[in-house]
Amino acid sequence: MKSLKVRNLSKTYFDPYAGTKVTAVRDVSLEVPAGEFACIVGPSGCGKTTVLNLVAGFIPATSGEILLDECPVKGPGRDRGVVFQSFALFPWRTVLDNVAFGPKMRGIGKVEREKIAREYLALAKLSEAAGRYPNELSGGMQQRVGVARALANEPDVLLMDEPFASVDAQTRMTLQEELTRIWQQKRPTVLFITHDVAEAVFLGNRVIVLSKGQVLEQISVDLPRPRAWDALNEDDRFKALTGRVLQLVRSA
Amino acid sequence: MTLLLKAWGAYVRVSSRWPAIASIVPFIPVVALWWAVTALEIFPRVFLPGPAEVARTFADLVYKGILPEYLADSVVRLTVGAAWGIALGIPLGILIGLSKTAHRVLWPLLLFFQAIGDIAWLPILVIWFGYGLTTMTLVIVYTVIFPIVLNTVLGVRSIPINMHRAALSLGASRPRMLWEVVLPGALPNIITGLRNGLGYGWRALIAAEIIVGTSGIGFLMFDARRAGSVVEILLGMVILGMLWYIVDSWILAPVERATGERWGLVTR
Repeated sequence: MKSLKVRNLSKTYFDPYAGTKVTAVRDVSLEVPAGEFACIVGPSGCGKTTVLNLVAGFIPATSGEILLDECPVKGPGRDRGVVFQSFALFPWRTVLDNVAFGPKMRGIGKVEREKIAREYLALAKLSEAAGRYPNELSGGMQQRVGVARALANEPDVLLMDEPFASVDAQTRMTLQEELTRIWQQKRPTVLFITHDVAEAVFLGNRVIVLSKGQVLEQISVDLPRPRAWDALNEDDRFKALTGRVLQLVRSA
Repeated sequence: MTLLLKAWGAYVRVSSRWPAIASIVPFIPVVALWWAVTALEIFPRVFLPGPAEVARTFADLVYKGILPEYLADSVVRLTVGAAWGIALGIPLGILIGLSKTAHRVLWPLLLFFQAIGDIAWLPILVIWFGYGLTTMTLVIVYTVIFPIVLNTVLGVRSIPINMHRAALSLGASRPRMLWEVVLPGALPNIITGLRNGLGYGWRALIAAEIIVGTSGIGFLMFDARRAGSVVEILLGMVILGMLWYIVDSWILAPVERATGERWGLVTR
């Protein structure tokens, strides 16, 4: 696990239809220490997904730096695992082969990489689904595969782009609780993007509020772990924190 | 009405148990109608022979060894042409699908040459290469390649961008992406292209054999016209249909079931 540092990151697009430049991310600086779970929350259009795409290396930054343990990164790479909102599983590979994909790209032999994949499938409670194809699974199960696939490659930082936005509410709560459990077990450095304030507070050690492409405020969340919805729904500190973050997001 | 429904239900059950039945039964009414028309002698027998005569001619030509030889010639020509078409078409389609520059340069050329139909090349090919396998192979390659290229381009371009991103962030190198993401992602479309290409290629082959052939099913039919043998022409037509049916249901359909349909990329 490594720390993630973002320094003065900006992204400006040229909009050919409007004929003007659009600034999606403006001078964003943030730091996620190794092993911390940080959530970026903000209204739609605030640039949060752009920040993740920049950190993942999917799009080039206009200016600024992205550092993993002080080493600058460029382009996508296996040091930054990504979990997508649309799952982005390979439909032509079984669940097991999806999870084993990263190790395979690292040149790990078949027996060894399948052992790794089975270990992470067990972590995500998916052992029975190993031989099935992604389209045979429910959305919630597909995203567990997405998380297992990213973790099985042992990235330095885990980037998650609204991963639970396209599953139903009940499944989402289960997935959130499982993610906190897995995080406590493996302690990866996580940068989690969401528009859901309660989700951000529930999952994170820290919530970063983004507004109009800029960091508005950072709030640390010192709720005890393990976290569970049954307990937190009635928790005054949880309510106070979500209230405060919600206020910031709505004022943004 | 209920009786009809019951009969239909029984047919569905039986035919899903033995697929061979499902592929034969639909032809029974067609053959029966053909037989009825010829038995009533609505048209003179010389112009429209019946199924029995065609079957007899089939047995006769098989016995003489003409039919197996011609059939083998046609199938070999199509296979050689299709193999070249696939070997050239898929890489070209992937190149055009991935590279904007290649698309800009090659797409207009592709559309231009696609418009010049396969048969339109025959006159000049005969002058260049004479009456032989080269000419016929070129015509088939030319016919097969366009549907394959166009569908491969479509397939490559319809792969969601996040699929590329996922593979890259899992550590896949650019060359490996071709094999791990681009090819399987485009495969359902490639198979569609192959199906269209082989269908067109099969037709082009018959046309080429009619014009430049010295053997093959197309030649058999044209030679029969010269001899005034309608029964051999009909036999040729029946064989064309049967052969394509076999290629489709024994080769293409199983591949489709094992890939696109299994992966949920193609709806059944």
